[in-house]
Amino acid sequence: MLSDMRFRLRALFHRGAMERDLDDELRFHLERETDKYVRQGMARRDAERRARVAFGGVERIKEDVREARGTSMIDSLLQDVRYAWRGLRTKPGFTTAVVLTLALGIGANTAMFGIVDRLLFRAPPFLRAPGRVHRVYVEWTSIDAGERVERTIQYTRFLNFTDWTTSFEHTAVLAYSNMVVGTGESAREMTVARASATVFAFFDAAPFLGRYFTADEDRVPTGADVAVLGYGFWQTHFGGDAHVLGKSLHIGNKTYTIVGVAPRGFVGITDDRSPAVFVPVTAYASSTNENYYRNYQWSWLEMFARRKPGVSIETANADLTKAYQRSWEVQRIQDGIQPQRDAHPKAFVGPVQLARGPEASQDSKIVTWVMGVATIVLLVACANVANLLLARAVRRRREIALRLALGVTRARLLQQLLVEGTLLALLGGVAGVAVAQWGGRTLRALFLRSEDAAPVVADNRTMLFSIALTVGVALVTGLAPALHALHRDVAASLKTGEREGTYRRSRLRNGLLIFQGALSVVLLVGAGLFARSLQHVRGMRLGYDVDPLVYVTANLRGVTLSDPERRALIDRLFAAARAVPGVVNATLTVSVPFWSNEGRGAPFVPGRDSTFKLGRFLLQAGSPSYFETVGTRILRGRGFTDADRTGGQKVAVITESMARALWPGQDALGRQFRLGSDTNSMTTVVGIAEDMHARMLQDTREFWYYLPIAQYNGAGSPQMFVRVNGSAEDYSERLRRRLQREMPGVAYARTMTLRQLVAPRQRSWEFGAKMFVAFGTLALVLAAIGLYSVIAYAIAQRTHELGVRIALGASTTDLLRMVLGQGLSFAVAGLVIGSAIALWAGRWVEPLLFSQSARDPRVFVLVGLVLLAVALVATLRPALRATRVDPTVALRAD
Amino acid sequence: MSARLDLPQGTLDLLILKALSLGPQHGWAISERIHQVSQTLQIPQGSLYPALHRLERQGFIAAEWGASDNNRRAKFYELTRAGRKQLDADTEAWDKLTAAVALVLRMAR
Repeated sequence: MLSDMRFRLRALFHRGAMERDLDDELRFHLERETDKYVRQGMARRDAERRARVAFGGVERIKEDVREARGTSMIDSLLQDVRYAWRGLRTKPGFTTAVVLTLALGIGANTAMFGIVDRLLFRAPPFLRAPGRVHRVYVEWTSIDAGERVERTIQYTRFLNFTDWTTSFEHTAVLAYSNMVVGTGESAREMTVARASATVFAFFDAAPFLGRYFTADEDRVPTGADVAVLGYGFWQTHFGGDAHVLGKSLHIGNKTYTIVGVAPRGFVGITDDRSPAVFVPVTAYASSTNENYYRNYQWSWLEMFARRKPGVSIETANADLTKAYQRSWEVQRIQDGIQPQRDAHPKAFVGPVQLARGPEASQDSKIVTWVMGVATIVLLVACANVANLLLARAVRRRREIALRLALGVTRARLLQQLLVEGTLLALLGGVAGVAVAQWGGRTLRALFLRSEDAAPVVADNRTMLFSIALTVGVALVTGLAPALHALHRDVAASLKTGEREGTYRRSRLRNGLLIFQGALSVVLLVGAGLFARSLQHVRGMRLGYDVDPLVYVTANLRGVTLSDPERRALIDRLFAAARAVPGVVNATLTVSVPFWSNEGRGAPFVPGRDSTFKLGRFLLQAGSPSYFETVGTRILRGRGFTDADRTGGQKVAVITESMARALWPGQDALGRQFRLGSDTNSMTTVVGIAEDMHARMLQDTREFWYYLPIAQYNGAGSPQMFVRVNGSAEDYSERLRRRLQREMPGVAYARTMTLRQLVAPRQRSWEFGAKMFVAFGTLALVLAAIGLYSVIAYAIAQRTHELGVRIALGASTTDLLRMVLGQGLSFAVAGLVIGSAIALWAGRWVEPLLFSQSARDPRVFVLVGLVLLAVALVATLRPALRATRVDPTVALRAD
Repeated sequence: MSARLDLPQGTLDLLILKALSLGPQHGWAISERIHQVSQTLQIPQGSLYPALHRLERQGFIAAEWGASDNNRRAKFYELTRAGRKQLDADTEAWDKLTAAVALVLRMAR
């Protein structure tokens, strides 16, 4: 056995020498055999033939010998790898094209998988038994809004669900939101997780330092003011100080004592945030609403539950629903809400991942789309590579036929072609992972809010995915040409070779080409539609300027000010802001676009009923400098002046569409309406302003009215808009620092550019446009390369035929027309099929577009022109080459 | 060519070992010797070399390069001790088998 092993190993390592020996041995045999026949009186040539016939196929025998030696498997594989590698190295252009193509396809998919996996599939880190952990949803039918599903519940409800169900081992609540952490100039808004102490029981994660807070510290009503730091926050803000325990930290309006540090990567249960700190939910809630554990006023918590082993989801849902109904009754008695027979309250458990639940965001839908787009690009890439390999396989038809005739088994040939495909796919895969690392960060930043800049392919799942993808690509790209090559008639191939006879079109190859074209058309149409949507969104006048505005909140953080103190603070803030060089103007505000909107309900207009049915009425109040500062145009009448003060005549500026809705066909200037209760005095319309969109981009029934800030009695933290010269981004931080100095005590100034608030609303279109344009261009380039290589290859193959044509008098124009016509016919076929698919898919894309039809003929025509132009360019070079064929050379060859 | 008999399964190895028991030989000579001695047996040449290499791997024969009678480089095979043992065992088994088969056939007649 040992000698056997040694023999095999020697055979393996001295493969070259052994192969030579085998050749010698067989040649020796044939010579002796020939000599024998010669001695019997045969002519030498006949003798040679006779000997060869008696011997049989040399290649086959060699193969059998190798097998007998027990080295054939590894041996032949190594041989194939070497052979393939040599082949690839002699054709660097081809190899680079294929590897790049695959790298882009695999890279795009790997990067997208990392994101989709994180949003849709992967459980939060450290979660124990994730299969039994769920997010709790409640569902009921409301009178005005119909059926509603929500994931946030009240603390009281959480207590009810916990006490009145038996299906769960653990229940917990969590609420993530931005709060001010720290004091003075180092104070920052950070994600703070308000968590029940039971949250930690869901995980297998020991604290990195100290301990988590206990049930005793999370006891109704007030809990204890303790905090557990997130690992990242501990590193960045405490420099990883091991003596951090026992120190105090100001969060929101309270001071907490640090009792522990969570392990690295621990975030609780969330898709995209990494909280800076965890505090007991009771400690936070009691400082905000002292009856939070008895009333049902405040829905703010996400609830999670782990089923007991053996309890089915159906049982758990029934159990939860029963508890919800009981809880509903309690609330009905307390608050007089609608009875159950109208509301049909139901509660159920859903996946932990938000994106998979009933409340998935627009972004996660787009992620799914982009994943689909990436898959299409990979398909185009595969089709392209398969096509290139196919062209090569056909060129090697003679070689393959020869080897088959020499007795190489088909299985062996297949193996060789597959090895070649795999080698290419592997190179592509490696390059693809590099592409993913580089491009994935951008994607990640777009989709996931988490601040960690972790590399994309860091985890095993993504790595495994890209490996599986590579193997799949290898099979698809390698197998198609292999089967194609093997199914040819050996004798016919040997006879005709590649030059003789007519050029035969491969249906498979042409099909792949058209398929590529069609997919590029689909993606390009998508690109066009999203680009037009983005254009619409960007070009849309919101009713105020965006880029030069900074939004400032003076967060009082529990500091109470008397009216004069408050006014003095505002004056100081104004003065300080105006003193910053580059600041043009400033105004107070109460509503902030896409952030927080004030409302006082629908106005009462004498002689009109139920104005609330007309649309949504929203309120904005500002200083006399308001309209000038934010850039809202007054169409008629006037804005506010210093004369519009408390106790004076109540005045308002209303938007154009509100004027039209309330007083259709009449002049609204000078008209009056009443806000709030019947005893309030009437407000007079003194100006008409342009329409404003600050709640939804596409709402035509969003009506705004403006009041002078002096006539608007609101307390709370003062808010301002500051207009600067140039881009607000450059001023935001400078303003914050300057204004922070004016803030009393722990109060905190915070600034944001208006662009930061508006951009997320435009993001989905911007993102869709970018992705489709990028992937569409990629697909088009791939298709162009594919078209070019196939046509160029066909021309090379038809040199003989072209020579005949030229010899027979075909003109340059004829030849050009013939070749270009061929290229364009592929493009037209792809265009027709692609357009049909795009039209058909349009109805699913339309909801994602912005005032844009999915069947916009302009987009389709433009895409058609682009595709034809690209096809023309791709075909032109080989076409010109066809005209330069020298008939004498072409006909004499072979 | 004289009338030829097909080789029963598994007997090629035995014949090779037997041919080599008379002294080292190269592949062609083995096939010639078997043919001459038997007058009827034609070694399928396609199977000869795989069989030789298999036997070499199994350690029953050893190979060495040397000069042939007409002074050309040839690969000579030689029986090893294990090969000789194997030959004895196989021959005995073969004799028993053929005797038994013959007995049965005669009885049936």
